[in-house]
Amino acid sequence: MSSDFEAYEQDFGTITAEITNKVGRIPKLSGEEKTQLVLNVDKQLEEVRELLEQMDLEVREIPVQSRAMYNSRLKSYKQEMEKLEKDFKRSRIAYSDEVRNELLGDDAGSSENQLIKLREERAHLLDNTEKLERSSRRLEAGYQIAVETEQVGQEILANLHSDREKIQRARERLRETDANLGKSSRILTGMLRRIIQNRILVFVLGAIIVLTIILAIYFNLRGH
Amino acid sequence: MDNSGKEKEAIQLMADADKKVKSSGSFLGGMFGGGHHKVEEACEMYCRAANMFKMAKNWSAAGGAFCKAARLHMQLQNKHDCATSFIDAGNAYKKSDPNEAIKCLNAAIDIYTDMGRFTIAAKHHISIAEIYESELVDIEKAIAHYEQAADYYKGEESNSSANKCLLKVGAYCAQLEQYQKAIEIYEQVGANTMDNPLLKYSAKEYFFKASLCHFIVDELNAKASFYILMAYSVPVFCSLTYIFLLKQKLLEAHEEQNSEAFTEAVKEFDSISRLDQWHTTLLLRIKKTIQGDEGDLK
Repeated sequence: MSSDFEAYEQDFGTITAEITNKVGRIPKLSGEEKTQLVLNVDKQLEEVRELLEQMDLEVREIPVQSRAMYNSRLKSYKQEMEKLEKDFKRSRIAYSDEVRNELLGDDAGSSENQLIKLREERAHLLDNTEKLERSSRRLEAGYQIAVETEQVGQEILANLHSDREKIQRARERLRETDANLGKSSRILTGMLRRIIQNRILVFVLGAIIVLTIILAIYFNLRGH
Repeated sequence: MDNSGKEKEAIQLMADADKKVKSSGSFLGGMFGGGHHKVEEACEMYCRAANMFKMAKNWSAAGGAFCKAARLHMQLQNKHDCATSFIDAGNAYKKSDPNEAIKCLNAAIDIYTDMGRFTIAAKHHISIAEIYESELVDIEKAIAHYEQAADYYKGEESNSSANKCLLKVGAYCAQLEQYQKAIEIYEQVGANTMDNPLLKYSAKEYFFKASLCHFIVDELNAKASFYILMAYSVPVFCSLTYIFLLKQKLLEAHEEQNSEAFTEAVKEFDSISRLDQWHTTLLLRIKKTIQGDEGDLK
């Protein structure tokens, strides 16, 4: 029985070595090769888990006295497997060598990046300042126009006011003229009436005079 | 071209009209109603002659013809026509001989005030004042006429025209350094216009002018007037904040006797809305007083 266990242990050792090797390689690769490796590592991890299960069964069959030693070994193997799994996961999401270098402080590469970043930031800020200046200039122009508009409005209002007064005065005068015209027409009709009266009077008087003359002549003739 | 022919016609007409006037002066003419008829005809002929002179652009001759017509109208006791002719004469003379124009206009104004038509008289006072302003450059007389016009307008209850005249009076007074009078006028006009809903937006402008005048007179007055300006303008639509800023800056600059700050403030004001002649003159005077004070202090 223990020989099985040892056989399992040897298998475990080889497979874990292979896994560590592959996990180390994964970050450096990309694309097809990476997925292949990842699949490989996955399979090997499965094998390792099966091995561990079998080792577990074996340990249970062993008589109780020597079980402790095998138990401890099993535990260490399990921890190793967990560590391998963690590494594997980290390697899958790890970016690349570049980032690791940056993190570990590779000087040449990072300062270049910093310069590029600084230049970008500067361009961005200049853009912003220009936009701000443009908008403030437009605001000022708008303010100027508003002030001018107000002045023009003031003038127009003053003109309107004076025109209003002129119109009012004109209306008053018109009413006066109307009243005066009415008066004058009344006077004229009065004059006309008087003229007619005078003429009638003249005619009447003329008629009376003529009558008197005729009567005088008549009486004269009669008197003879 | 045509005009010279017209001129000859006009001269001919004038001669005819003169003869008519002389003939109507004879005994027989005066006896019958025909005398008046002749004089009226002569008047008409003078007017026609004057119009022809106008067409020929011979303004002095036109003015002369109109004057003669006006005198004939006087004889006929046609006050209205007489005054109209004098006005025509004045307009014609405006273009050639300002003094004659002023004489004619004055005669017309006398007739109108006799008849009691003050509005028209005021209008002609303004014309005379304008002539004094532009051609003869006699600002004192111009001020006198503007004042007279303003009084007549007030009498006829046309306040806006009165205000217009008063404003001109104020502007010229300030130019002639009669600041007290200018201050009174501006404040009065400002107070009047505050009540009128149409005109209250211009009231700020008047108070600003008054405060500029105060400034020149005396600094304490300036502060007082500034506060008056604020008090009056707050209820009104307050868009001219730059005027306030300017005043504050001016006051500060004046207190500190700092002519540079003053110039800066004025420049700022100018960049927003152009300063006109009157404002520039006054601000220049204020600046000189500041600089003068600086000189004294040194």
